Amino acid sequence: MIITLILLIASLILSIVFVYMAITERDLLKATAFSAGQSICYATILQAMGAADIAMTYVAVSAGLYSAILVFVISKTERFEEVSSE
Amino acid sequence: MKRVIVLVVLVLIAVVSSVITPLVISIEVPRYLKDLSRYYIINTIKDTASPEAVAAIVWDYRGLDTVYETLVLYLAIVGGLTIFMYTGELARKTPVGLTLLSRTATKIITVLISTVSAAIAFHGHLTPGGGFPGGSALAVATMLIIPVFSINTLLEKGVTSTKLVAIRGVSLTGLGLVALLPVIRGLEIVTNQRFYPGYLDGFILSGSISLYNLLEFLAVASGFTAVALYLSIPEEYYKGGDNA
Repeated sequence: MIITLILLIASLILSIVFVYMAITERDLLKATAFSAGQSICYATILQAMGAADIAMTYVAVSAGLYSAILVFVISKTERFEEVSSE
Repeated sequence: MKRVIVLVVLVLIAVVSSVITPLVISIEVPRYLKDLSRYYIINTIKDTASPEAVAAIVWDYRGLDTVYETLVLYLAIVGGLTIFMYTGELARKTPVGLTLLSRTATKIITVLISTVSAAIAFHGHLTPGGGFPGGSALAVATMLIIPVFSINTLLEKGVTSTKLVAIRGVSLTGLGLVALLPVIRGLEIVTNQRFYPGYLDGFILSGSISLYNLLEFLAVASGFTAVALYLSIPEEYYKGGDNA
């Protein structure tokens, strides 16, 4: 029980870190990698709560397919995001 | 630098709130099962011959919902493929891939992913998993091959989008037939145990659940691989046709 709670809290905090890094990153490929890391954190949370079926689908779709499709999309545009300075 | 400060503040807020919350609100673990979940836990193995309650609910108790859900995904992918339809011939360039190191690593990883995806799909009626996660995992393996080895490698091996769409159509037709066949004997659509055998020579088959998982695995894997193949066609082919 206590291990499950610690795992939940650690994954949630780590997912906040990944989300923040993904939003503020200008290199879109790195942002995609951070997004995949956030997905793995969420999959850990689902597994800790006992939803093994959902966790498996979540990893395959969110960390695998979603990231791969984003990489395809980035390959059709520019890799670095342009930020207008003020 | 500003980024790091914001991040530290965010993490601090999260840590503090996760420490305070259990002190303010008492977390209670439910001690009793609800009637519905008790019904599924007790009766699943008897009703569907499947020890995995989630697969039993998805493909047997609520089987019609899942069949329609598969239909929705089929229409979505067919719509996407229609937009990206490319009928011309792809020019065979010399394969441009990544370095030898990443190629070797990808070879090993691809075999591992394929094995795991087959295990997820074919044990879907015994352990967590099923056709959709297994098929998505297999599609990830092919999506890994395309950037590392170039698309021509797949095309030369005979993995073309026409064949993939054909596999998808055949397996979805099979899925529909598995759902429809019990009607011939006057049973309801998507009937499982009263029509399909639950056990075969000591092996647990769970009736139609393993068939559904196998067909869904083929359909999802070929569908997503076809999407990846179409996405990796360069845009110049769509525009001018001079390069084609």
